[in-house]
Amino acid sequence: MAKPAVILVGADKGGVGKTTVSRTLLDYFALRKISTRAFDTECPKGTLKRFHPVITDVVDVTSVPDQMKIFDTVESSSAQVTLIDIRAGLMSPTLAALRDIGFIEMTKRSQLTFAVFHILGPSIASLDEIAETSKFLLDARYFLVKNFINNTTFFDWDEKTYDSYFNKIPHAVGLTVPKLAEMACEQVELSSVPFATFIADKKATGEPAGNSFVLRGYVRHWLNNVFAEYDRVRLTDIVDSKDPAIKPRSSIKVAELSPQRANS
Amino acid sequence: MSTTTAGRYDACAAPYPEPPCRRRPAPIYVVCSPNRQVGKTMLARLLTEHYMADARQVAAFDLSDEGPGLADFVAHHVTISNIRDMRGQIRFFDGLIETDDIPKIIDLSHREFANFFTIVDKIGFFEEARRRSIEPLILFLIDPSPVSVKAYGLLRRRFTGTSLLPVRNLTVAKGLPYGASFPHASTLVVSLEISILGPAARALVERQTFSFLDLSKQDSPHSDMSARTRAELEAWFRRARFQFREIELSLIRQQISTTSL
Repeated sequence: MAKPAVILVGADKGGVGKTTVSRTLLDYFALRKISTRAFDTECPKGTLKRFHPVITDVVDVTSVPDQMKIFDTVESSSAQVTLIDIRAGLMSPTLAALRDIGFIEMTKRSQLTFAVFHILGPSIASLDEIAETSKFLLDARYFLVKNFINNTTFFDWDEKTYDSYFNKIPHAVGLTVPKLAEMACEQVELSSVPFATFIADKKATGEPAGNSFVLRGYVRHWLNNVFAEYDRVRLTDIVDSKDPAIKPRSSIKVAELSPQRANS
Repeated sequence: MSTTTAGRYDACAAPYPEPPCRRRPAPIYVVCSPNRQVGKTMLARLLTEHYMADARQVAAFDLSDEGPGLADFVAHHVTISNIRDMRGQIRFFDGLIETDDIPKIIDLSHREFANFFTIVDKIGFFEEARRRSIEPLILFLIDPSPVSVKAYGLLRRRFTGTSLLPVRNLTVAKGLPYGASFPHASTLVVSLEISILGPAARALVERQTFSFLDLSKQDSPHSDMSARTRAELEAWFRRARFQFREIELSLIRQQISTTSL
């Protein structure tokens, strides 16, 4: 029997690709036949909802009724994975709220899996964000994502600075989202469909879209690389009931990731 | 290349093209080598004129960045292409993948060799072509250089399902064994060899005004061509065409065996 999982995708900084990563996660679980539902906290417009309208609700995560709508229904929902795309600046307050309502405590008892995808920005401020965030997440799956999709250049973090942050959070796992060709990225945005639908050359209605084969090829190649990263960190384990809440991972930590990987 | 009819455009846009049994094989020949001066443009010319000689449709693409290229010899059938930017890649590869039953010939510059195959690999071009019953054939002009041996090995390992045919141009690869360095990697049981031309015939062929199709004309535009040179060129073109027909027949046999399974 699968246990439910809640995935928070967030960053305190804006424009680092939270919604893009959320979209790849929804495609990843869909491909593996793991049912999902999503909450878009970009209230009221909802960017994630534009791409995944059927499974996405737009909510105000700071309001108690909407918090109830998300967290009180995690176990009763038919979806195995609940994904929450947290808008910029709300990650730390949301984690604090989850701690206060006892949600994080509940994950300790292994009734559900709680995972956070923390999308890193290129600046040193991101390291401070990690320190701030990680204190809530000792009992959660903590994924640190370097997102290169829109050609972000991560400046060279000095090794000592790096270690001083990452040694404090040994359970964090690093992930890299590689760069996607700009025109391919724009075309998917314009199409307003999931990446997998774009690759299949379909519109949201299911009709043939007539997208460029070259652009679809680039998106497919990129998405496969992203999925390879999710496979590497054994992401599907989070809905596996036999999987303990926390265990040491053999996967590479962010500190060990070379910048070259991002362009592979 | 253009999508002139509504039917053709629809076929291109459709995610699932018609089944292979209803269509003739329309190969894409990729004429390539990582080295220059091995006879790529000559082979691409011969192939293009082979189709033209039978008054069959053919579309050739010149990916060379230095002259004289394919477009300098058979201009009317050649599109000069550039795959260094995304727009160029879309124009070129989306055009190639059209299910229009027209054979396509790519004269790939040695300078574009790595870029071309990297893109092909990334976008899954050969897989998509086969899915649409378009057979990609890599015609690799072999030569003794280590670069060539290495590149051939890389293509063989990377594109396992794609026909990779070593082409021996005797002018540069005489005596070079195929054996271990250039093993035949295709389900098509054919081999290609370009024989050596005498100096007079070679000088004539290298003129940009020369076409093999002129050989069959009564009033040849090349009045200085001796009867001996003409006979040599006719025999040479005939030998090349015989090998191309062997490839086409192999493709038909392959298609029949695939569709009858």
